[in-house]
Amino acid sequence: MAMDQWEEEDFQESWDAGTLRRMIGLAARRKLWFFGFLATVALVALSDSVFTYLKKMVIDESITPGHPESLYWIGGLFIVLSVLQAAGVFTFIYLAGLLGERIQYDLRRSMFTRLQELSFSYFDRTPVGWIMSRVTSDPSKVADLVTWGLLDSTWAAMSIISAMAFMLYLKWDLGILVFLTIPVLVFAGAFFKQRIIRQYRKVRRVNSKITASFNETITGVRVIKALGREERNLREFRGRTDEMYQAGFRAAWLSALFLPIVQGIGAVALATVAWFGGAQAVQGAVSIGTIQAFIGYVTFMLWPVQDLARVFSEMQHAIASAERSFSLVDSHPEIVDRPGALAPESLRGEVVFDQVSFWYKEGEPVIEDFSLRVSENESIALVGPTGGGKTTIASLLCRFYEPRRGVIRIAGRDYTTLTQRAIQSRIGVVLQTPHLFSGTIRENIRYGRLDAGDDEIADAARVAGADEFIRTLEKGYDTEVGQGGNRLSTGQKQLISLARAVLVQPDILIMDEATSSVDTVTEALIQRGMGTLMNGRISFVIAHRLSTIRRASRIVVVEDGRICEQGTHAELLCVRGKYYRLYTQQFRMERMREIDLGTEHGLLGTTDPSPIPSP
Amino acid sequence: MAEKQAEKTGSVGERLSILWRYSAGFRGLYLFAMFAQAGASAAKTGTFYLLGFLVDRVVGQTVLAGFLPILAAGIIGLALAEGLFSFLSGRSTAGASEGVARRLRNTLYDHIQHLPFSYHDRMPTGELIQRSTSDVDAVRRFFADQAIGVVRIGMMFLVNLTALLFLNPKLGLASILVVPFIVAVSIFFFRRVSKVYDEYQDQDAVLSTILQENLAGVRVVRAFAQQGFETAKFEKENTEKFRRGRALLLMHALFWPSTDILCAAQVLAGFTLGAVMAIQGEITLGQYIAYTGMVVYLIWPMRDLGRLVVHASNGLVSAYRTTEILRQPKEDLDAGTVSPSNTLRGEVEFRGVGFEYRGQSHILQDISFRCAPGRAVALLGPTGSGKTSLVNLLPRFHEYTSGRVLLDGVELREYSKRYLRRQIGIVEQEPFLFSRTIRENIVYGVEREVGDSEVVEAAQAAAIHEVILGLPDGYRTMVGEKGVTLSGGQRQRIAIARALLKDPRLLILDDSTSSVDSETEAEIRQALERLMQGRTTFIIAHRVQSVMRADLILVLDKGRIIQSGTHAELMEREGFYRRIFSLQSRIEEEVEGALAAEAGGQAGPLVA
Repeated sequence: MAMDQWEEEDFQESWDAGTLRRMIGLAARRKLWFFGFLATVALVALSDSVFTYLKKMVIDESITPGHPESLYWIGGLFIVLSVLQAAGVFTFIYLAGLLGERIQYDLRRSMFTRLQELSFSYFDRTPVGWIMSRVTSDPSKVADLVTWGLLDSTWAAMSIISAMAFMLYLKWDLGILVFLTIPVLVFAGAFFKQRIIRQYRKVRRVNSKITASFNETITGVRVIKALGREERNLREFRGRTDEMYQAGFRAAWLSALFLPIVQGIGAVALATVAWFGGAQAVQGAVSIGTIQAFIGYVTFMLWPVQDLARVFSEMQHAIASAERSFSLVDSHPEIVDRPGALAPESLRGEVVFDQVSFWYKEGEPVIEDFSLRVSENESIALVGPTGGGKTTIASLLCRFYEPRRGVIRIAGRDYTTLTQRAIQSRIGVVLQTPHLFSGTIRENIRYGRLDAGDDEIADAARVAGADEFIRTLEKGYDTEVGQGGNRLSTGQKQLISLARAVLVQPDILIMDEATSSVDTVTEALIQRGMGTLMNGRISFVIAHRLSTIRRASRIVVVEDGRICEQGTHAELLCVRGKYYRLYTQQFRMERMREIDLGTEHGLLGTTDPSPIPSP
Repeated sequence: MAEKQAEKTGSVGERLSILWRYSAGFRGLYLFAMFAQAGASAAKTGTFYLLGFLVDRVVGQTVLAGFLPILAAGIIGLALAEGLFSFLSGRSTAGASEGVARRLRNTLYDHIQHLPFSYHDRMPTGELIQRSTSDVDAVRRFFADQAIGVVRIGMMFLVNLTALLFLNPKLGLASILVVPFIVAVSIFFFRRVSKVYDEYQDQDAVLSTILQENLAGVRVVRAFAQQGFETAKFEKENTEKFRRGRALLLMHALFWPSTDILCAAQVLAGFTLGAVMAIQGEITLGQYIAYTGMVVYLIWPMRDLGRLVVHASNGLVSAYRTTEILRQPKEDLDAGTVSPSNTLRGEVEFRGVGFEYRGQSHILQDISFRCAPGRAVALLGPTGSGKTSLVNLLPRFHEYTSGRVLLDGVELREYSKRYLRRQIGIVEQEPFLFSRTIRENIVYGVEREVGDSEVVEAAQAAAIHEVILGLPDGYRTMVGEKGVTLSGGQRQRIAIARALLKDPRLLILDDSTSSVDSETEAEIRQALERLMQGRTTFIIAHRVQSVMRADLILVLDKGRIIQSGTHAELMEREGFYRRIFSLQSRIEEEVEGALAAEAGGQAGPLVA
């Protein structure tokens, strides 16, 4: 299915070196932080080896020869080194962390900014949930890899290298003997890495199935109860939890097995030290301190290997995340301003659709050869069956999409020679489903024009018929609308969206079922107010309601992306064609709805639009 | 997500006792895991003893050089023992924690299915899902990581301390001076960090709200050319997130090195004392070497204790949250005194039934009517008049609070819920379908095995067979997110097929006007009529046709029956019902009148 590309694939079989390079490039942009933390980590790891060497000196320089006074300078070195190391630890945690936060910040910002530029076609084909996870969860994974992941690797590499160097320096032949275990360690690490990662992936997969089960059972609990499915559901669910148990258990005990095996291999190295080192110590060829130091260094080399599986699995995760984030950042908007695009102050004048065709998918045209000339002062009602292309026409006019063929001219200019901003800031749009942002009513209306004063906002609300209900609210214009405006009824949200568009004082107004949930009395009021506002401007209205349609100066019937009839209301009725049928059908529907007691216009009139709950 | 409400989470003792109960059946295994940790610690400490022995006895005295291979073997042997113990501990811990989690998941799932409607009505879905998934995982981690982690650190401490005390009491005691201090600092720190971390996470919620609103309102943003405003809004919160991240970071950057210094000071003191004692001959060199190995395991792990303790306390809160669900009383599906063996006739009688719910009195009041077997009752009334509440009493989704409901002459409460629900089919206007294949959705309500021909028959009767055949995988097509999206009308017909297969005696239909074209509407109507054949049916009616054909019409308002009778009877009487219908019959005239007026060019006031 087409959804496959949006599946959350959290694992890359092969890694893309380019992605990794680009990730590191993100970090390397802040050179001081990046190289600063890498250098400090390396130094701190090195100093750990020096500590082990100091411990050797305690034995060889102080205890064995019986010189307590040597403890002073060794102790002094220890203190100095400890303080330096603490300073180093502070530095690398702070630098790496800061770098990580900065990378996240940068990534989020570039993704958000890019999202503001991308064309609608991008949003049509990309699920919102997918975009959300890109911006909310991927940046931290990417940042973690290039900071903590890189930190771990540097630490590991430096620990191993410095441990090896010290061992070679102390007693090279014993050192080489110890190194023989390293390939075995690496092999064991790789072997387990694969298996453990695979198990954890399975755990994650089963886990999301379990979440889905809970989700479905809770949302569908009514149907389950009504159909008496409880027992069979539980049986099915037990299957999933069994699967989860198996996967989780297996993943956990594999990890539990991995650790002892690494330690076992380490023990072999230790035993080698004890045996050969001991034998040489007996002959005096090796000091006791050296043996102790070797033990310290062997332990040192083991730590990074134990972490290998974890670091690798996180790495694969992070690379997959990065690839998806980059794909978002790299997406190109399809509609861009042409070089030298104009930004006229006003768009007053004719609007012309000249043989416009449009399709979302090749071969399935939504609009075909659509031609329409609208002069100043006209109001056009677009009517027709659902899916006929009315909303697409509105979207084309807003330049949310551009015509695939043909031209749209506004005020005499092909509108692709204008900037998008110039068009969109002079067009007022009120959409089918009103969208409000969380914040106050005032802020939502002001969204139309940010520099509008409070009295302008109130004026716009009055024209839109919203002022009255807003004043009845306890906090008036300062009422919080809630997320997505969910504290208001749909009708109230529509009025506020309308006020927002009115505030723009647009040259072209587009209303797509803008007042469908507003009662008829308020609607008549709005129409009167809008009449004055729209003087000398152009408006497009998509509506079902007859009272709205009838007020238009011209009615255009759109079906299958074409104009099939146009004219005034009376003219079209006389033709007794498509419009006649639509009209009579709608007339019946509206009458029926008055009978349908479920609506707010019911004869009983008992239900009012859900009021704002008083806080 | 953003708002954290103050919630009751019980006392620590109470929460611990919950986890104790959850661990039933796995306690032995878990205890074993704990002891295995002690074993692993002992083996590790043994290695250091062995090294001490090596230095003192073998290296000093050439005679015992032959012991070296045996010592080497001993080291490997102890490592194997340590490995075995830690593996056994890990495995048992995994078994116990995954076992606890599995049982908790199953119990929660079953419990949630059996919780009454009144609970589901007031509990937000997201909250329930959160508790059943994340909180269960937190409980699992409590057993898998935190509790055993604390035990591991504790065991390591005890074993090494004992060994040290045994080695040399003075040195041993001197080595743990700062330990209580480290533990205290660590717990204090991680408490603070967990608060700062919560703030950091809360800012995530703020960011995703902005993003979510931006994406949902993308048309509005573009239509008003407010991309700049949106970017600035996001930028502000993004910067705040950066700032909070930096605050969190600073805490970590201070904690780790400062405890490093504490630990280093302790190590230095111990080493110095040990070295002096070794020089003075109070301890041997070998003992000193063993000491330096062991002391590390005494001090450094303590820093982690704080993290484990704080995370464990979060696990305790999660345990409490899950148990809150389990404390809610379940519906008893089987309680009931009668379970008729012969088929139900389907005669329903309401006698003065009243229903109160969640402090709202009078949702239904004094409802009385009688419906003969196989007949249809239509319920009319505005939203909130009690239509849905009335039909919800029949499968005992809710219990009536006064009066009597009789089914075949027997009080409804005498039937078990399981029996009743088996006898009742429900078809909603936009029914809920499950993310399964279409076939599975159709047979969802039937317990017996159903043959393909039977499924097809039901689908045909429900006028959905042709639609299904047109789908990519026919009856095996998945419904929902990972498959096809069906329209409201299609879903309704699948629900009809589902009800046909279930073959109930009583039927509840929601007949709201959905946005389907007239052709589909006719098909649905026919399918519904086939379904209603011979079954007692309650219709929540929105369509005139459904009402007209009903054997009994109940007009509800504010929980009361204001009119009842057949269509003919109600048309006789002055009242609400007739007012509606006289209006309906006027429509045709009005259309014609409107046309005449419009055509005549006089746009008269047609619509009141």
